[in-house]
Amino acid sequence: MTEQPCVDLVKAEAILGKYPPAEPSLIQVLQDVQRAYNYLPCDVLVKVAETLGVPLAHVFSVSTFYKAFALDPQGDTIIKVCTGTACHIRGAGQLVEELTRTLGIGPDQTTGDLKFTVKTVNCVGACAMAPVMIVGDKYWGNAKPARMTKYLGKGKGGDDEN
Amino acid sequence: MRIESIAQFASLQEESRRRAADRRQQIMVCCGTGCLASGSKKVAEAFAEEVAKRGLDASVGMFVKTTGCHGFCERGPLVALLPSGILYTKVKPSNVGQIIDKTVLGGEVIPSLTYKNPADGQRISAYAEIPFYKHQLRVAMRNIGRIDPTDIRDAIAEGAYSGLAKALGEMTPEAVIEEVAIAGQRGRGGAGFNTARKWRSCRRAPGDRRFVLCNGDEGDPHSVLEGMVIGAWAVGAHEGFIYVRDEYPLAVVHLTIAMEQARSYGLLGDNIMGSGFDFDIRISRGGGAFVCGESSALMRSLEGKIGEPRAKYVHSTDKGLFDLPTVLNNVETWAGIGAIIERGGAWFASMGTERSKGTKAFSLVGKVKNTGLIELPMGTTLRRIIFDIGGGILGDRPFKAVQTGGPSGGCVPEALLDLPVDYERLTEAGSMMGSGGMIVMDDRTCMVDVARYFLKFLTEESCGKCVPCREGLQQLLHIFDRLVEGRGRPDDIPAIERLSRGMQLGSLCELGKSAPNPVLSTLRYFRSEYEAHIFGKSCPAGICRELTAYEIVPDLCDGCHACFKACPVNAITGTIKELHRIHHDACISCGACFDVCPTAAIRTFPKVELKTEVV
Amino acid sequence: MPTLTVNGKKVTVGEDAVILDAARCAGVHVPTLCQFDGLEPWGGCRLCVVDMWQQGWDENWFKMVTACNHPVAEGMRVFTSSERVLETRRVVLDLLLARCPETPLIQRIAAEHGISETSYEVNPTPTDCILCGLCTRVCDHIGVSAIASVNRGWGREIAPPFHQAPPDCIGCLACAEICPTRCIPYSEAAGSRRIWDKDFEMLRDPVTGEAVITKAQAEHFARRSGVPQGYFATSDGSKRRVMATTFTKLKVVG
Repeated sequence: MTEQPCVDLVKAEAILGKYPPAEPSLIQVLQDVQRAYNYLPCDVLVKVAETLGVPLAHVFSVSTFYKAFALDPQGDTIIKVCTGTACHIRGAGQLVEELTRTLGIGPDQTTGDLKFTVKTVNCVGACAMAPVMIVGDKYWGNAKPARMTKYLGKGKGGDDEN
Repeated sequence: MRIESIAQFASLQEESRRRAADRRQQIMVCCGTGCLASGSKKVAEAFAEEVAKRGLDASVGMFVKTTGCHGFCERGPLVALLPSGILYTKVKPSNVGQIIDKTVLGGEVIPSLTYKNPADGQRISAYAEIPFYKHQLRVAMRNIGRIDPTDIRDAIAEGAYSGLAKALGEMTPEAVIEEVAIAGQRGRGGAGFNTARKWRSCRRAPGDRRFVLCNGDEGDPHSVLEGMVIGAWAVGAHEGFIYVRDEYPLAVVHLTIAMEQARSYGLLGDNIMGSGFDFDIRISRGGGAFVCGESSALMRSLEGKIGEPRAKYVHSTDKGLFDLPTVLNNVETWAGIGAIIERGGAWFASMGTERSKGTKAFSLVGKVKNTGLIELPMGTTLRRIIFDIGGGILGDRPFKAVQTGGPSGGCVPEALLDLPVDYERLTEAGSMMGSGGMIVMDDRTCMVDVARYFLKFLTEESCGKCVPCREGLQQLLHIFDRLVEGRGRPDDIPAIERLSRGMQLGSLCELGKSAPNPVLSTLRYFRSEYEAHIFGKSCPAGICRELTAYEIVPDLCDGCHACFKACPVNAITGTIKELHRIHHDACISCGACFDVCPTAAIRTFPKVELKTEVV
Repeated sequence: MPTLTVNGKKVTVGEDAVILDAARCAGVHVPTLCQFDGLEPWGGCRLCVVDMWQQGWDENWFKMVTACNHPVAEGMRVFTSSERVLETRRVVLDLLLARCPETPLIQRIAAEHGISETSYEVNPTPTDCILCGLCTRVCDHIGVSAIASVNRGWGREIAPPFHQAPPDCIGCLACAEICPTRCIPYSEAAGSRRIWDKDFEMLRDPVTGEAVITKAQAEHFARRSGVPQGYFATSDGSKRRVMATTFTKLKVVG
């Protein structure tokens, strides 16, 4: 806890104000925190434990159990490669390899400059467009390793053709 | 406007239908996840702009709406037109003017935008004639692609909530359960448990507070909501939750809008349709855990805990969420209820097979030409699904197997293609229905690699509570890592079988119990592939990289240079129009060259033969 | 009061009994690892699996269930050493031995089931923790919840929040004492106790001066029970002396 920088708790308090202060709110609160801070800062988790009346150990347990949460700062752009069965069959593995070659990081890793984090996810529900890669908010269907620089260049917005 | 009585609902329905009829020319642009990824939003915007600019809404009743997934994601963006019933595929914003002028106003088909049947090269313009749609029978998906999921009156015009009106207006809760019993509907989430039986158990459980839960993301929101209100009425619940996986933001958006609209119309919340029945629903987002598909794990997640299943000796219909009586059903199960009540259980039971009634939605994906979401009567054969609806294998390669039921299911080989799809038959064949995933595989699929893929997935999803699953999956994965790398041992198959049995019998929940299914079914139907990996150190499908080498066949290579461009590690040399060559020391056996070669000049062979070759 | 048979032997047990209770009543040993009397059964180790038949079932239809938490029923038939039960236990122990190759408890129970070495790949970083959850369950039970399970799947482990000294721990040692493999270390010296990298000041018996209990634990129990803290800081010897003195002041009746 001492290694992490202190964060501004105002956002966390606003999030906590939206939910009943009890255990069932925990996962929804953590998701909003993840979205607001780009990870789960430890002092926010302490505040969450206090406000919801959940033991800190349980909050930490839930934070590490679910894939949606990260305990370290994530990159500005999250790259999600779908490795669901349809995407696997259609070459998702090659996309992950190409990302490693291009960015020097593997799944669940972040580039040193905090620009990109690579994640593998299980099925985003666009199996007909397999393999699917999501860069920021942009979905790329029928993704090909050869076009990786194009996908990484266009981070957010628009829905151009592939 | 709040509906305060059943009669008021009937007039709202009539008014909605009249409004739909006034929209004499409907342009329906699919905005499901697949089409959005192909750029359908810009297409919808272009249509809306053009119609507004030319005042066509007022003059000819032209109406543009965005709909949920049509199902034929491969060919998106999809645009369907009513009343003509024409479907256009791969539509671009630049096609908009032409479509409006030539087709909507002029009544003429634009051939280049229609679906081209790969079987015979013929163009088909009518939605209902396209093989992908022709063979479908949509019940749970009855409104998808026809309505705008953000406009409740659209759904009402198509019949949404009429089942609810009948239930609240004319039936007792027991009568509702009886109708669902007559339908014989079984849960669509995988377990296939009889819906009415589950509802009855919950209704009989003591206590005032109980819940209805929905496990699942995709689906027509209003069908799901309607089903849940009817179910809540049947079991006496006033609170419901819809559990949406973290990976589906679109589902949360659509559901939230639908719920807000339903509430504003008095179809959800307090005093529904003036009946005095209160019931409301909250959405709960999952945290990203496959194990939370298991009902007791899902309930823990709703309680803010880790998704750890517990023994099912006490049923969740007695003690479920917060240890209170709970009914948990899959989203597709809920989506079918409204139609069952409106049209009667007997209608539903008239479709399907003896023990698997009604229709089922399937996600047909993989190496098949027409991928997408389909719904069919139970009992349809795999052959019809894959070849008639799916259009056959991509590239016309040989069919090898179809995987059904996801990581809990198994592979079904060519010999069983005439298997009618229903719960019992799939289980007998060593697979299972699951929630309807069907992954089609061709000859370029290694079944040992497929089994390993599922094991890798499950090792990451196991909650880790029980020894057989947590440790067993890890050890199975170790064995498979060795198999695909050519380090298999003679006693691996017996070891796999023994460990699988231990996991099936000893695991706490279905994740662990069914984890060996993909392994055992591939072993059952493709044992020779396992033996080739172990004893021959070779991968017959040419997929496992440590066991496979690639080379260019001189007679077939025309020097097009495509392989050179595709190779990620520059292992291919060659000048244009000259014979190219793969350098084995640099080649990583990824297969990218194989996939792009237009003359099929690249072949795979066992790496072990490399040692004897003169390089 | 249901009557059932365990390996053919008839027993009658209480309404709320589980199969393990019935087995004990019948004098039949069922091995367990994650079970502990007084704590809610968990069903995680799967070592206590038994075959079970219930009334209304086909004669040859059995279900394999965990004895520690499956309720009994009238006329139930339980078999604790059918071939498939023994084989399943062996697989469980074989797997545990791969995870914990150097742990005496696991070595012993595995040997009792005929397994002297694992047939699986040995854990590259052997541990004594069998993930039975007893430590976290007892900690939750006494209302402290200082530690919990972290991560999921094979990477699952027991740890305090952020893998640092747990703020809520009261140093009571319940986790260390309940652990079947004694894998939670702690130390005591000079009136201080250390566990989970956290140091605790200990309260001393006012008469003998021995370190009896951590201050934090005394406070926790006092808060929960309403009993004055001083009671918890009294050593057993002192309590016995106090009782002896009290007895001398009593009038013997009869």
